[in-house]
Amino acid sequence: MEHPSKSSVLQLGILVFGALAILTAVEFVIALTTNLWQVLAIIPFVKAGLVLYYYMHISRLFENDEDVDKESFAYKLATNRIGLWLFLLSDLFIFGGLMISRINLLGLTRPDLIQFLGLGVTTILLISSFFANRAEVSMEYGDRKQFLVSITFTMTLGILFLIGVLGVEWRLAPFGPSTNLAGAIFYVMTGFHAFHVLSGVIFLAIVLRNGAHGLYSSEKHWGVEASVVYWHFVDVVWFFFYPALYLIGTLAK
Amino acid sequence: RRYVIIFILVIVSTFVIHEWLMLVHLFPREASIQSIAVDQLFHVHLWVISFLFSLIMVTLIYSLIVFRRRKGETGDGAYFTGNSTLEMTWTAIPLMAVLVLAYAGAKTLGSIRVIDPSALQVKVTAGQWYWRYQYPEFGVTSSDLYLPVNRQIDLQMTSVDVIHSFWVPEFRVKQDIIPGRTVDLRVTPSLIGEYTVRCSELCGLRHAYMEGKVNVVSQGDFDNWISQQQSAAPERPELRGQQLAQDYGCVNCHSADGSPKTGPTWLHLYGSTVKLTDGSSVTADDNYLKTSINNPNIQVVVGFPANMMPDFSTVLDQTMVESLVAYIKTLK
Amino acid sequence: MRKFYSIGLVRGLLWQILGTAIGIGILTGIRYLLGLTPWKPESACVFGALLGALFFVFGIGAVDGWIKMAAGKEAPEPDESSWGRSRYFGVSLDHKVIGIQYLILSLVLMVVGGTFAMIFRSELANTGMQFLTLMEYNTLMSLHGMVMIIGILVGVAAFMNYLIPMMIGARDMAFPRLNAFAFWLAVPASIILLSSMALGGFDTGWTGYPPLSVRAPIGIQMFFLGVSLAGMGTILSSLNVITTALRMRAKGMTGFRLPIFVWGALATSLISLTATQLIGLSFQMVMFQRLFGMGFFDPVKGGNPILFQHLFWFYSHPAVYVFVLPGLGIISELLPVFARKPLYGYKWVAISSFGIALIGFLVWGHHMFASGMAEYLRVPFMYSTLLVAVPTGVKFFSWLGTLWRGKIVFPVPMLFVLAGIVVFLLGGLTGPPNATIATDLQLTDTYFIVGHFHDTMFGGYIFPFFAAIYYWFPKMTGKRLNETLGKVHFWLMTPAFITLSTLMMRIGLLGMRRRIADYDPSLGVTIDNRVMTVAGFLIALSILTFFINAFWSLRHGEIATGNVWNSRSPEWQVPSPMPIHNYDKPLEVVGEPYDYGLPDSVYVKFIEEE
Ligand code: HEA
Ligand code: HEA
Ligand code: HEC
Ligand code: CUA
Ligand SMILES: [Cu+2]
Repeated sequence: MEHPSKSSVLQLGILVFGALAILTAVEFVIALTTNLWQVLAIIPFVKAGLVLYYYMHISRLFENDEDVDKESFAYKLATNRIGLWLFLLSDLFIFGGLMISRINLLGLTRPDLIQFLGLGVTTILLISSFFANRAEVSMEYGDRKQFLVSITFTMTLGILFLIGVLGVEWRLAPFGPSTNLAGAIFYVMTGFHAFHVLSGVIFLAIVLRNGAHGLYSSEKHWGVEASVVYWHFVDVVWFFFYPALYLIGTLAK
Repeated sequence: RRYVIIFILVIVSTFVIHEWLMLVHLFPREASIQSIAVDQLFHVHLWVISFLFSLIMVTLIYSLIVFRRRKGETGDGAYFTGNSTLEMTWTAIPLMAVLVLAYAGAKTLGSIRVIDPSALQVKVTAGQWYWRYQYPEFGVTSSDLYLPVNRQIDLQMTSVDVIHSFWVPEFRVKQDIIPGRTVDLRVTPSLIGEYTVRCSELCGLRHAYMEGKVNVVSQGDFDNWISQQQSAAPERPELRGQQLAQDYGCVNCHSADGSPKTGPTWLHLYGSTVKLTDGSSVTADDNYLKTSINNPNIQVVVGFPANMMPDFSTVLDQTMVESLVAYIKTLK
Repeated sequence: MRKFYSIGLVRGLLWQILGTAIGIGILTGIRYLLGLTPWKPESACVFGALLGALFFVFGIGAVDGWIKMAAGKEAPEPDESSWGRSRYFGVSLDHKVIGIQYLILSLVLMVVGGTFAMIFRSELANTGMQFLTLMEYNTLMSLHGMVMIIGILVGVAAFMNYLIPMMIGARDMAFPRLNAFAFWLAVPASIILLSSMALGGFDTGWTGYPPLSVRAPIGIQMFFLGVSLAGMGTILSSLNVITTALRMRAKGMTGFRLPIFVWGALATSLISLTATQLIGLSFQMVMFQRLFGMGFFDPVKGGNPILFQHLFWFYSHPAVYVFVLPGLGIISELLPVFARKPLYGYKWVAISSFGIALIGFLVWGHHMFASGMAEYLRVPFMYSTLLVAVPTGVKFFSWLGTLWRGKIVFPVPMLFVLAGIVVFLLGGLTGPPNATIATDLQLTDTYFIVGHFHDTMFGGYIFPFFAAIYYWFPKMTGKRLNETLGKVHFWLMTPAFITLSTLMMRIGLLGMRRRIADYDPSLGVTIDNRVMTVAGFLIALSILTFFINAFWSLRHGEIATGNVWNSRSPEWQVPSPMPIHNYDKPLEVVGEPYDYGLPDSVYVKFIEEE
């Protein structure tokens, strides 16, 4: 298959990011003005769809390679991909379970949190996702310098996110895990998610190090792809957690 | 010809098995209107089971005998790999059976849940490990369950600690009792006699022993029993309080003689000053006692765990709380 | 000493002890620094156990490869041909070794769990408390349940790991390292699970419902933690299985030419890959509730105990199909071999596995008919539950079709297969009465249920499992298990078990509740209980004979390196035991898997490189 030019791919990345940013802003505004939870429930799916398709390249799973030599790198790569996605599928069920619990226990109420901090960390994570995509693309086109830069950005933003949630939100929250249900839900959801972000950051750090040592080439960079896809996944999860925790419903007493 | 043999054998064994199942008495007595409907459904199942079991076992054993490899035989079996129409049929027939069962199941469920507005209401309190019953209509509390025959009973059940489950085998109905909410169960006793309620949800150590008497009696005997209870209930509040402290298991955690237990002793409690975990300290007057009975976690006593004492607010009405306080007073 | 230390397992255990100690130390230290009361046994134990498990996998070297990769070094798979016996006691990447390791672990767990059963069965032999305290009874009973279930999951993994690559003509699993890691996670997990006995036990049953489990002793934490870790293991191994079956198939092995067992394995893996997360989550939520006072299931805080049951059963029902689908796969796999006849309706059998698995996702509510869950949920769950009977029926009838007009032979594996069919039929047919709500309200939480699921589990797993052991033992060892002892095992176990389970159902109907340490003599079930206890011990005895047989045959069993059962399946076309990387020549599928009785047809042939 012929390759589209690098610049066009990067532009696509930017467009997608723009769309995501706008949708997030819309969410926020809706939440502040009319609290239409139905809309807030739908938007995340749209965002997730965008990321799945444009950033995580879910379509790559379905490329038919029956005739490819089973020992070839390409075939092994596709196998690894399937493995990774199965893992994500499985992980999805934890977060699904958490969502179900949240819906069941809190319904149309939500914990009392700092709106702008929430928006802040969400944006941070969104931008990090953008850079992650950028990193992967530049690696695909063998531009190592840009790759290193972007991945560093992704990581730092990820760390910022962690600080925002664990360092600030957890401290400032007017409730503890044992105060009330909203508290319990908030801590368990952010906790599980933060754990994934953390592992993602570590993963990225490893990739960064190996990248700096020049272990990846434009053909062979499974490590990069894996870490990036995982990172996007963590972001997608947050697409759902953010409205669930910050936007939907009225304050729980 | 083979099919004919098998067919006959299946029919025979179906009836044999079913009869045998009928002979060994499988179920306890039927002591409620509901139990009759339930047992009818059981019998449908018994038929289905005996038939399918016979069908498969007969064919299996027949094949094992007739198609076994005889001495000195080598060679393989007949070569055929399947037949879609046949597969269809034995997908379709069970499907039918399933639909029948589903229909019967739904119908029975409906019939055992018919609600009679004139039902006699009984409040059931389950706790580790006791049963308590209140008859709001008559203001009677008891640790045995007395039920008039042939009248629907509306059991309003709640638990003070963990999940329990109300089950009288002869009634054929069962309902888990969940702390923090009231679940209701309808049953219409139809047979005078003595039965046992058996808690059938694992609820900790003494789950095995969480059983209680159930007496289904004639309306007349029931009325007598009620009036007995009403007169027997001590009119002096503190005595009633003492009784309640027994009935509702307060004594499991609160001693009247100062001996240490899970909860603070009630000896010399009244009028004393109690230190609370929030640093403040209060004098144990009536109000304090009432609040700490109704919702103990508002004021938690120093040196004792919060959330330990069950929430009795749903269980004890105000007069009961007052009598309890009256009792605690006597210990000062 | 050094030699001792070089044995992976020993090293792992030492590290686990170390890790636990360190964990406890760290936590206490932190609490001290934060100025809290330093010694908080519960959190200390949990943290310690967790760290211990991590130390174990690290110490034994299950993650060395990954660490190397992360450090950017090359990490080639070691050549194990020279390792000999020691491969089995340390990290090996060979799927056959891992499979056998799984098998051993599974048998160990079964023995432990079964011994527990024997102990509390003896207690139940008479009314009144004989020699156990109430807490001991509950702990043994609950652990019996969970240990057995973990044992099954491990056993399932054993056969999936051992067989699938061979059956599809691959040289190994898709991710050998992940495979090893998943296994070595199960070991510390089992240890933690059992350590709950040392920490006061717990009295909640294997279902661990809150609020009871919130009030139980610390032991429950070990139970939750152990199960969560074991769950992680199963998730990873099932991930591996799916990928392998999708990607590593030999040339020409199209979907409907796979050995039927692979279909069962796929369906199973699909379940454990996804649903397992939810039992993990539900258990962890209770752990958090205990540790941090989060009120998920605490009515006082407005939590919802029923929510736990939904999360729990969303896994634990599909789980029961995780137990049986491979078992039924084995039945479908062996029947044609011993009937010398094609598997009847291959496609239908294959698809029915997925039918069961998929419907199985929609029926969890049938465990909660009496639990007070939302009324409107009950009836739909009844319908979906009954529906499962249909695909299961397809399997049964296809088995009959397979036997019909065959030339049936009866070596030990076949006996176990047949017993499996009968027992599973008993278990299956007692399912629908639980499924129609009205009757379930009578049956739930009685010994009828206990009877139901022992039948299904034995028929769907234990019997096929033994059949598989007798069948593939030659492949694993090159020796054959002794037939006579095998027959003794069979003729002890089968009647004893059928008595056991049938009596379970009977006393259940008569009103004996489950999970009781002592029962009311007035129920008139004392005799039945005695008989059941005896039956239990007979089963134990039979399994004892099995072990004797196994050890004896390993030494002086009849040599069997050829195609013992003259099967068509690829693994039997090469001499046993299997060489390290399975097939030295790649194989190609040229026929149908089960065309027994079709003259000069072959399933696979090896491609000769020119
Ligand atoms: C291997 C494990 C296994 C398997 C395969 C099954 C199979 C089934 N189970 Fe079972 N079950 C358990 C393990 C299993 N179960 C366990 C462990 C528990 C207790 C958990 C606990 O509380 O501790 C349990 C509990 C349980 C309950 C809850 C009981 C209660 O606690 O109140 C119910 C209720 O519906 C149920 C139903 C069924 C049904 C309908 C099937 C069906 O899949 C059966 C289908 C098979 C057949 C029906 C026979 C063959 C089919 C035919 C011959 C075709 C024609 C048949 C008909 C038309 C009926 N099971
Ligand atoms: C596959 C799973 C499995 C298996 C194989 C078994 C096997 C057995 N089970 Fe199991 N059982 C469960 C799964 C299983 N059980 C589950 C999930 C529960 C529910 C728990 C709960 O309610 O929470 C349960 C509950 C349960 C109860 C109900 C307890 C209660 O509700 O109070 C009983 C009672 O009789 C029982 C009995 C037995 C017996 C006698 C065996 C025997 O078949 C065991 C025989 C095997 C051995 C004994 C081991 C091998 C023997 C040797 C190596 C010889 C040496 C050992 C000795 C001589 C002791 N089991
Ligand atoms: C499971 C144990 C338990 C049971 C049962 C229990 N209590 Fe308590 N109770 C406690 C504990 C622990 C405390 C101290 C902590 C607190 O104040 O909440 C307490 C505190 C109290 C107090 C305040 C005592 C003081 O010293 O200030 C009163 C009054 C009281 N309980 C009454 C009752 C009554 C009445 C019942 C029965 C209807 C009852 N308790 C049943 C455990 C229990
Ligand atoms: Cu109460 Cu069991
Ligand atoms: Cu189930």
